[in-house]
Amino acid sequence: MEDARLTHSENRRATTLQRSGAAAEPTIRFHAVTKQYRGGGGVDEITLDVYPGEVFGFLGPNGAGKSTTIRLVLDLIRPDHGEITVLGLDVRRQGIEVRRQIGYLPGELTLYEKLTPRALLTHLAHLRTGVESSHFESLAKEFSLDLDRPIKDLSKGNRQKVGLIQALMGDPKVLILDEPTSGLDPLVQQSVHGQIRRACTEGRTVFLSSHVLSEVGQIADRVGLIREGRIIAIDDVTNLRRHSAHLIEAETDGQINLDDLRELPGVSEVNLAGRTLTFKAAGPLTPVMSMLASVDLLDLVVREQTLEELFLAFYAQNHAPS
Amino acid sequence: MVAWTLGLFTYAFVMTAIFPTIRDNPALKTIHSAYPEVLRSLFAIGDMTTGVGYLRVEVFSTVSPLLLIIFGALWGGDLTAGEEDRGTIDLLLANPLSRQRVVLEKWAALVTGLVVASLGLGLGALVGIVVFDLGVSVSTLTAATVAVCLIGVLFGSLALAIGASTGARGLARGVTTVLAVAAYLLSTLPDLVDWLRPFRPLSPWYHALGTDPLASGFHLWHLGGVAVATVAVLGAAIVGFNRRDLGT
Repeated sequence: MEDARLTHSENRRATTLQRSGAAAEPTIRFHAVTKQYRGGGGVDEITLDVYPGEVFGFLGPNGAGKSTTIRLVLDLIRPDHGEITVLGLDVRRQGIEVRRQIGYLPGELTLYEKLTPRALLTHLAHLRTGVESSHFESLAKEFSLDLDRPIKDLSKGNRQKVGLIQALMGDPKVLILDEPTSGLDPLVQQSVHGQIRRACTEGRTVFLSSHVLSEVGQIADRVGLIREGRIIAIDDVTNLRRHSAHLIEAETDGQINLDDLRELPGVSEVNLAGRTLTFKAAGPLTPVMSMLASVDLLDLVVREQTLEELFLAFYAQNHAPS
Repeated sequence: MVAWTLGLFTYAFVMTAIFPTIRDNPALKTIHSAYPEVLRSLFAIGDMTTGVGYLRVEVFSTVSPLLLIIFGALWGGDLTAGEEDRGTIDLLLANPLSRQRVVLEKWAALVTGLVVASLGLGLGALVGIVVFDLGVSVSTLTAATVAVCLIGVLFGSLALAIGASTGARGLARGVTTVLAVAAYLLSTLPDLVDWLRPFRPLSPWYHALGTDPLASGFHLWHLGGVAVATVAVLGAAIVGFNRRDLGT
């Protein structure tokens, strides 16, 4: 499963690199964009290019500035300085043209409670022009959403489906999805990921935000890490995975050779306290597991690094004395 | 909106229905002159035994304009600021629409609502005038209804402008109500307070209703002034909304 995902992601990365290698114009371009709020928060000097056919994952904890960045693209808020273009159009001066090309899912989605999904989607399709009702009907079928139940009676997951459908309908050239799968059950998540993949194989561009590392890892080609309003790293998902390690805690009878363990590729921070051995393993787990299998293993906990820990790793790296 | 329209219709009709008992009460012929001057001018108390005088006091001088202003302020203050407050503004403005178009379309809805509500008021009064024989002409009734409608539209637009420029719904409604009361006082108080007289033309209330349209019909220059003020306020709403960070 893990391997299959990696292969898929790597394939797409290759495609993206080819496209960007052919000097493609970026679909979304942020140039030194700053937006500070009076009460604090905002984003600082964001510079970022997102290319056609790419799924760009914007990853950061809540309050890091993901939604601020996204709402700047939609011209819902205005930058203090800096410039944002979408498909070569300035989002301030040519906002209407820009938004004609964008399907947007708000992060804090609120819908018109009194309407049914059908009425809302019909209304929005009318505002966009050129969106057939058959399109949102087929999306509703795929996400198994009842279009005729009033929105006020819908669960959070079903509301999120309405939000996704309105963003996806009409196959916009640019999809901007703020936390797209929050509140969705895994089956629908898969459908959403499928839609995102379809969009990028059609050469459309997807910019999505998430605070969940595993989701971005599954779906994105490249990832930008944002923390406290600043982008601290932009990297391919595969590189990010290399930084992302497993944290392993094993209870053994103490016969393991710690020096041998330290020599294994990707292993670090080895520590033995009593019978509890903890260490960090980046990269393939097989060598580590076969070594552990050779001793008496009383207990074993393997967990993926959390986003917070990944950030700290990046931070440590960025602030390392040169 | 339906409720407001029906309410205004019923209010105007019921008030006219009471008229015959007032008219036939001889004591009321003189009672108004017994009120102190300050009360007479503040609450527009006049001769209640004529149809025009009665309808002016009970319906058109204070109650119905205030009701339409409240209706306009509640709704106008909610038009954009309510969408920001609830968070639906993202869904709306992510579409290929200009903010100007959003303000204009919402304003058009507000005006339509106020016109319909005013029609309810006018029709209720008209039916009553005919049934209970108040002797008010259709043309002066129309003039009074139009005046009341225009003042409602002006203050509804003001609430829209404050809401669009600040994103604060409560502020929009509150400030609008205060300004409407101020406009009312500035229209009526100069009868008693001489030094206020030069400032009276600043009050839109004076231009709409101070001319006593129920008795004297249309005063196009005065109504035009209210309309110009409305357009200016609408322009401010567009400019104010265009400049802002929304929903923050």
